[in-house]
Amino acid sequence: MQIQGQTQPKPLARWLRSRWLHPLNDAVAWEQMLCAINPMWSRRDYPARVLAVIDETADTRSLWLQPVARWPGHRAGQHVVVEVEIDGRRLHRSFSLSSAPTADGRVRITLKRQPGARVSAWIQQLRAGDVLRLSAPQGDFLAPADDAPLLLIGAGSGITPLMAMVEELRAGGRHAPLVLVHICRNEEDFIFGARLRELASRWPAFDLRVHFSAVAGRPDAVALTRLLAGTGHCEARVCGPRALVAAVESLYRAAGVAGRVRSESYRGRVLPAADGAASAHAVHCTNTERVFTAGADTSLLQAAEAAGLQPAHGCRIGICMSCQCRKRSGSVLNLRTGERSSEPDELIQLCVSVAQSPLELAL
Amino acid sequence: MSKAHLSPAQLDAFQRELDALRAEVAGDIGQRDAEHIRGVVASARAHAVAGRSLLMFGFDPLSFAAGVLALAKAKILENMEIGHNVLHGQYDWMGDPTLNSQTYEWDIVCASRDWRKTHNVEHHNHTNILGKDDDYGYGLLRMTGEQRWTWRTPLQPLSYLLLALLFQWGVAIQDLKLGRWFKGRMQPGELRQRAAPFLRKARGQLFKDYLLFPLLAFWNWPRVLAGNALANLIRNLWTNAIIFCGHFTLDAQVYSKAEVADESRGAWYLRQIQGSGNLEGGRWLHLLSGHLSHQIEHHLFPDIPAPRYTEMAPRVREICARYGVRYNSAGFWRQYLGVLWRILRHALPLDRRPAGLAPATHAEA
Ligand code: FES
Repeated sequence: MQIQGQTQPKPLARWLRSRWLHPLNDAVAWEQMLCAINPMWSRRDYPARVLAVIDETADTRSLWLQPVARWPGHRAGQHVVVEVEIDGRRLHRSFSLSSAPTADGRVRITLKRQPGARVSAWIQQLRAGDVLRLSAPQGDFLAPADDAPLLLIGAGSGITPLMAMVEELRAGGRHAPLVLVHICRNEEDFIFGARLRELASRWPAFDLRVHFSAVAGRPDAVALTRLLAGTGHCEARVCGPRALVAAVESLYRAAGVAGRVRSESYRGRVLPAADGAASAHAVHCTNTERVFTAGADTSLLQAAEAAGLQPAHGCRIGICMSCQCRKRSGSVLNLRTGERSSEPDELIQLCVSVAQSPLELAL
Repeated sequence: MSKAHLSPAQLDAFQRELDALRAEVAGDIGQRDAEHIRGVVASARAHAVAGRSLLMFGFDPLSFAAGVLALAKAKILENMEIGHNVLHGQYDWMGDPTLNSQTYEWDIVCASRDWRKTHNVEHHNHTNILGKDDDYGYGLLRMTGEQRWTWRTPLQPLSYLLLALLFQWGVAIQDLKLGRWFKGRMQPGELRQRAAPFLRKARGQLFKDYLLFPLLAFWNWPRVLAGNALANLIRNLWTNAIIFCGHFTLDAQVYSKAEVADESRGAWYLRQIQGSGNLEGGRWLHLLSGHLSHQIEHHLFPDIPAPRYTEMAPRVREICARYGVRYNSAGFWRQYLGVLWRILRHALPLDRRPAGLAPATHAEA
């Protein structure tokens, strides 16, 4: 899990952590002992207990969580990285918080079940009393602080951070116009539909505009312009698939006010190339900000070296693990084992892996 | 004692069968393996706490003996079942940074990073290739007639005894390549650079066992000091015996560089099998040896969680039988006496093979 703003430890703290004192200073052992007694006593990240599980739609479920008291607290629009352990593997996924900050620190995450999304499906099965781990809240996808007209646009489960914003603005007693445009398949698929309709009926400043794509089709540029009518290119927050974000951004760019849109897009799952045997893919090294291309017939290690990078390596035949690297996104095939890695944030061996899609590597 | 000769087609089929076995087991890895390694970590910790407490707070010889044994067991578990296997990346899939091959630091004077290089890269890649596998005789012992006999060789029973007693130090300085230094083929700067991680690690280990814990015991310090030294000694002797049984039993084959030029993946598998030897015994033997009692399976599949070797062994054996490949496996004493016999026998200038085969020296990197 990413810890932001990590600073150099003080000399005393560094000395206490030094290997010379091992095992007296074995923080991991202490941590595991505490966890064995009560998982909420853990000092690693922020354990959070599931308080309640609520079905929102047929495939969407909300979990109310109570993080430990030292959790820093969030602002509407932010997300957290959730850590779960499935079948012995620790996995991390980020989810938007769908609730506004509350006095007692509870938070809500809302997940949609999607084919192949193992982690979401697993979290959806949790019950009240279970414990998962959160990171500190992250992200700057926030509503502006001023009391000017605001436009929120969300599609599908992109409603989650926007819902938190709506609740937060409502609690702040807002009077300036607030427009929420929501795009989803149909009424049954409308996450938080009842709550939003109720708010719209009792809160004059709040204007809810819903677009059902099962009836009206995917909104094209014309439909989108109609949906946004009267908002006058005010400050906007968009959350949804990349295509929607791009469409809104281009409308704003055309109006010369591109700076007024802030967006968040859930990462589209990168599917393995259908028959990419001959094709080469772009590999983006996130640590060094370098890009190279890798064909399906050369290992990523060879491709990286050919591009002038020098990744750590040893045996070059897949047994020593020297070349191990974190793959942020994309799909690779391990030629030695025949295993495919297509989940984000998995460890891969560069010397025996070939690219099957565009990749992001922590190199 | 002879090597199996399989045709290229047979080698390919052989490789495919072993690959299929690996894929099958790899696909099943999960909860059970995670629980195993966590259980061993907990057990090693419990033994360490028990051992150190007995040494620190006891007065009688009985608690001293129990303390030494418990601490030795803790160190053996940590080095073998945890350290060795974690550093092979067997548990990287868990995503637990405390059990990750790139970050784990084990409880011996050898720095993990150095060992990953000498062991994972050099030894596992070049298993039993004379002149390339530094683990073959550790540059100290003549274990086969293909190695050169010199005036120092007759002393090798003594050098072996020293190596066994101080095994962790032997392993720790392997990456220093002192042989090159003695021959004047290494600059002082390079040696300093190579030695830095080792010196840092060794300093911490010595401080802990021979200063910090004795001091914490106040008047009981001689007892703790002696107990820690004994526990380290037992661990050294045991790990040495296990490691030597892995590749120097009577039936273990050696290879020349020429023999392995352009070897196929099937031939690589074959070399791993013929260069290794298994130990038969109960669950305790497998656990305390870090499952290196299944040296053959470990060399075939170094990144599969070690307890799985026990399941894989009968099937590897069966595959070998069908291809007429000798599967070297016997009880501990039988294998270890074979190792000792090899050390004694090759101390004498007997069995000198014709030149042309590369001698095992430290010369090659
Ligand atoms: S270089 Fe050894 S596993 Fe990739």
